[in-house]
Amino acid sequence: MMSASHSPEETKAALHDVVTEMYDKIVKGEPPTMTLPVRTKNNIGFDKTLGVYKYGKKRSVRDATSLGSAKQLLRALHVVEFIEEMINTNKSSTLREMYYISESWGLGKFSSQNESNNLAEDLEVVTKCMREDFKLRPEEDGARMIGNVTLRERNRRGEWMRINARDDVGDSGYGVPYNVEEEKIELLEHDVNFIMAIETGGMFDRLIENGFDEAYNCALVHLKGQPARSTRRILKRMSEEWDLPVVVFLDGDPWSFRIFASIAYGAIKTAHISEYLATPTATYLGITSDDIEAYDLPSDDLSSRDVDALKAELSDPRFADAWWQDQINMMLELGKKAEQQSLAKYGLDFVTDTYLPEKLDDLGLA
Amino acid sequence: MAGTAERMAKNQKQVAISEFFEKNKHFLGFDSLTRSLITAVKEAVDNSLDACEEARILPEIRVQIDKIDDKKNIIQLKSEDNGPGIPKRSIEKVFGQLLFGSRFHAIRQSRGQQGIGITGVVMYSQLTTGQKTHVRSKIATETSAAIVDIGLDTRKNKATKTNEGRELWERPDGTLKEHGLEITCRMKAKYQRGRQSVYQYLRMTSIVNPHADITFVDPDGDVHHWPRVTERLPRKVESIKPHPHGIHLGTLQRMCTESTDSRMTSFLYKNFSGVSSRAAKQLLEAAGVLEKAKPKLMKPDQIRALIEAFQGERLLNGKAVKLLNPPTNCLSPIEELLIKKGLSKTIDSRFVTTMTRSPTVSQGNPYQVEVGLIFGDGMAADKPVEILRFANRVPLMYQQGGCLLTKAIESVDWRQYGMDQAGGRGVPKGPAAILVHLASTNVQFTSEAKEALAENGEVMDEVRKAMLEMGRGLRKHLEKKKKMVKVQEKFELVNDIIPAIAEKSASILKRPIPDLAGSITKIMGAVIAESTTAWNKESKMTDVSIKLFNYTSRARAYTLLASWPESAGASMEHNTTGGRKEAVGVWAWKLETLEPGETYTITYSLNGLEKGDWTETDVFYRGSQDVIGATKMDEKLLEEIRRQEARAQGDDGEEDAQEQNPLEKAEESKGASAVVDAQPTPSGQQTLMGFGRDE
Repeated sequence: MMSASHSPEETKAALHDVVTEMYDKIVKGEPPTMTLPVRTKNNIGFDKTLGVYKYGKKRSVRDATSLGSAKQLLRALHVVEFIEEMINTNKSSTLREMYYISESWGLGKFSSQNESNNLAEDLEVVTKCMREDFKLRPEEDGARMIGNVTLRERNRRGEWMRINARDDVGDSGYGVPYNVEEEKIELLEHDVNFIMAIETGGMFDRLIENGFDEAYNCALVHLKGQPARSTRRILKRMSEEWDLPVVVFLDGDPWSFRIFASIAYGAIKTAHISEYLATPTATYLGITSDDIEAYDLPSDDLSSRDVDALKAELSDPRFADAWWQDQINMMLELGKKAEQQSLAKYGLDFVTDTYLPEKLDDLGLA
Repeated sequence: MAGTAERMAKNQKQVAISEFFEKNKHFLGFDSLTRSLITAVKEAVDNSLDACEEARILPEIRVQIDKIDDKKNIIQLKSEDNGPGIPKRSIEKVFGQLLFGSRFHAIRQSRGQQGIGITGVVMYSQLTTGQKTHVRSKIATETSAAIVDIGLDTRKNKATKTNEGRELWERPDGTLKEHGLEITCRMKAKYQRGRQSVYQYLRMTSIVNPHADITFVDPDGDVHHWPRVTERLPRKVESIKPHPHGIHLGTLQRMCTESTDSRMTSFLYKNFSGVSSRAAKQLLEAAGVLEKAKPKLMKPDQIRALIEAFQGERLLNGKAVKLLNPPTNCLSPIEELLIKKGLSKTIDSRFVTTMTRSPTVSQGNPYQVEVGLIFGDGMAADKPVEILRFANRVPLMYQQGGCLLTKAIESVDWRQYGMDQAGGRGVPKGPAAILVHLASTNVQFTSEAKEALAENGEVMDEVRKAMLEMGRGLRKHLEKKKKMVKVQEKFELVNDIIPAIAEKSASILKRPIPDLAGSITKIMGAVIAESTTAWNKESKMTDVSIKLFNYTSRARAYTLLASWPESAGASMEHNTTGGRKEAVGVWAWKLETLEPGETYTITYSLNGLEKGDWTETDVFYRGSQDVIGATKMDEKLLEEIRRQEARAQGDDGEEDAQEQNPLEKAEESKGASAVVDAQPTPSGQQTLMGFGRDE
C-alpha cells in the first residue's frame, strides 16, 4: 500500500512540479523558491475522517535570498535528479548512501546526514509521495517482536517464508524489516488478545524471561526508543487487520509521551503520512504520572529540558484532551520522572505479577 | 673602637657574599632549577642587548642550551653576541664583581635593573657545579680574541682567572669574527617548555627588540630563529637629572652632602630637572632656606622643609611652586609600527593594532605606555588571551596575576570590543595576545623579584586608556570582518548557487537556462564594494583591489575613496584608474555611471612598505545609495584632516611632532625642544587610524 501509492510517472511529475516552481521564479526575475507545509506543532490538526493528526494549511516559502536556504534549494534539485535516475534505472539506495553520494554534488553537497534525511522528508511532504516512491530506504532497523503471531515474509531470494514469532524465533524475537508493506509481509494468523509495545530493551527482555507473553496471551514489540516508521506501520497493520488492541508501555517522562503520540496520533515530522503510520486506538498503559506516586517509584528530578518539553506538550494539539493535560500538569507539579525499570524496586516479578495485571485489569484486558 | 667596627664589617663582608647569594636567591632569580636557567639566559641576553645598543650595533644573539647530565640536572648554557666585546683587562670586573657598572646611579630607562647581573650567573654556576665560566671576548681593535675562565673567590668577593689566553675566533663559515662576546657556563638547572621557559623569554625579547636577530638552539637541537625586522636601533636614551617630585629625603641629603656648589640656588638649578632658576628661588623661599646657603651645610630640618616645598606641601603666596615636567627623551619606546612587526613575526595572525601613548610623568618619573593586540586564527579561541608584559623592554614572566599591567587589562570590559569575558572583568578569552610595555626611568615593582609592577593609579589609567583605544580598533576590525563574511556569502549566493540552481533546474526540466539578472538584482538589491589588501611576494609591494558591484535595478554614480599609508612613506603605483589626492592618506576616484549588473574595478600597488605594514584598506564613498562594504564619507572628518595637514605644512617639523602629542605641547618645558624624536613615528598613520572610526 505504501510503496504502491504512486507510480514512477506520478512520482516524477510531482518532483518536476518542485523544480518548475524554482525555474519559473527565475524566468520571472524573482529569487527561486520552494513552498512547503510548516512542519511544527502549530500546523498539525486532527483529521476527522482519518482519525489522526495531519499538517494544516500553513505554508512556508524557502527562498534563495540567503546562502543557507539557496543551498537547500540546490540540494533539493540534486536529490530530485538522483531520485529520477534511480527510478529510471530501477535502483534504490539508503538515505545514508545518498548522503555519501552527495559528496560529488559540489556546491549542493550535504554537510550532515540529518540534513539529507530532512530534505528527503521535505520532498515527501511537498510531493505527497513516500520515500519508498523515491527509492530511498532508511538504514535504521525495525523493532523486535515476540508472541503467537504468524506472518509471511518474502526473503531476499523472493521466496515467501512462514514465520511464527513465538515458535520460529530465538530469544531476540522476530526482527521487523524496514519494509512491512504487503508485497513484503503478509499477516496470516494469530492467537493473542492484544499487542504490547515496550520502550526499553531491558523491560522487553524482562517480560519475555517472566513468560508474560504466554501468561497473558499477547504479542510484545520492542520500540527501541522513538519507533522507526516500519515499527509504527506494523503496529498499525496488526491493529487494523486483526482488530487487536494496542497498549503502550513506556517510561514515565515527557519524551515517552511524545513516543506515544507518534504511535497513536501521528508524529509531527511525518504528519503527511499519519494515516499510514498512526494507530488511533492505541492506549497509554504507563508509566503514568500518578503511577510515580501510587507505586512510590524511585524517580529523578525533571531537568530544565524536561520541563520545557512538558510545557511545549501542554500546547501541542495532540495532548489537548483532559487526561493528557492532567498527566502533564501532574508531572510538572511532582517535578519527577520515572523509568519503566524502576518497578524493580519491588523485585523482578513485580512488573509481571502486580503492576501490569493491575493496569490491564483497568483496561479490561487482564 | 673604630678599628673593631671596621674589622667586624670586613669579616661580615667576607662571609656575606656566598651567604648573601644563598639567602637572597629567590629575588636574584635563582630560586628554582627552571627559573635559574631563565635568569641566566636573561642576564646574558640583556647584557648583549645593552652593549649593542650602546655601541650602536644591530645585535645578533645566539643562545644554545645542552643537557650535560640529565639525572643530575646539569645544563650548559652558551650565549654569543656580536657586540663590541669587552677589553681583556675589564673582563674580570664585569664577570667577577657584584654590582659593577654605572647604571645604578644614572636616571634613565635601562634593562639591567634586575638581579645582580652576569656575576650572579658566574656565581651560581660555581656554587652548583664548581665549574668556571668560560669567556671569549673580541674587540674590534685587536686581531685575536681574549679567552679566560672566570671563577669567584667568594670570600674576597673577587674574580679568579685561570687559563687566560688568546685565540682566533672563527665563525662556522671560517671567517673571523670582528667583535663579540661569548660565555659558556655549566649549572644545575632544568630546561622546561611552556609559558615560563627560555623559549618564551627569548620569543618575548624578540618582540620588543625588533632590531635584534635572535637564534635559540634548544636541548633537542631544534633551532628557533627570530629574524630582525627593522634595521633601526632603539633611540639612544639620555640620562636625566632627578625631578623634585620623585626625590626622597635620604637622596636629597646625600646629594647635599656630596655637593660642591656654593649656593643652594645653583645646586637646585644644576642638579634637578624641571627646576628653572626662578623656580629654584621660589622653592627656597617656600622652604625658608636662604638662597646663598651652602648645600653641604644644610641641616636635616631644612632638608625636610625643602622636600615639603618640592611636594607642594609648603606654599609660596598660597600656591605650590610650579615645576616643569622632566624631559621625556630619556625614554625609548618601541613604537607602534615596530611592535606591530615584532608581534607579527612571532605570532601568525591577521590583525594587529598597536598604540604608543605620549610620554607622561608620575611622581617626577617620566614613563610611557605602549600596547599591542594581535588577533587571529592561529591562536586558541576558547582560552584566555596571552598576556605579554614588559618593563623597559624586559619580559616579565612570573607573577602575572599580581601585576599592575594585568590588572589594567582585567579592568577593561572586553565584551564591548567583541571578545569573550565572563562578567566583563578578568582576562578576556579569545584568539588574541595583548602586549603591554612600560618604559620608565623608575619602574616600581611589587617585590625584589621584579616580576610584577606595583599599583600606581596614574600608570593604570594610562594603560587602560591605551587598551580602550586598541579595543575600539579591534571592534572595528571584527565588525568589518563580520560584514565581509556577509558580503562574501552574498557573492557566493549570486555567483555560484543561483547559477547552479538555474542550470540544474533547466537540465531536469529539459528547458533552456534562464537569464539570471532579474533574480540576482532582487536577491542583492544593493551596491557592494569588495576590497582586498595583500602582500605581493614577487614585487615586494602591497596590492590593493577595490571592486564595486551594482546589484540594483538602477544606474548609480559614486566617488570612491580609500585610505593609504601616505605618511608612512608609501607611494601609489600602477593606479590605472587615475583619481586624485583628497587629503593626506586619502585618494579619491570619481567613477562613471555604473549600470545595473555592472562592476567597476580599481587596482593599485603600494610601494615602500614592508610585509605586514598595511593589511586593511578602508573604503569610503560619496553617493546617494548605501554601499555595502564601504563607509559613507564623513566630510567633517575629512575637513579636519585637511586642516591638520595645512597646519603641518605651514609650520616646521618640530611643531608637527608636537601636533601628534598634545600632552607634550602642553609642557612648554625647557626639555621640550629636545623631545623631537630622532626617527619620527609615521605620524599620518595615527591620523588615519583614527579616521573613519565610529566615534
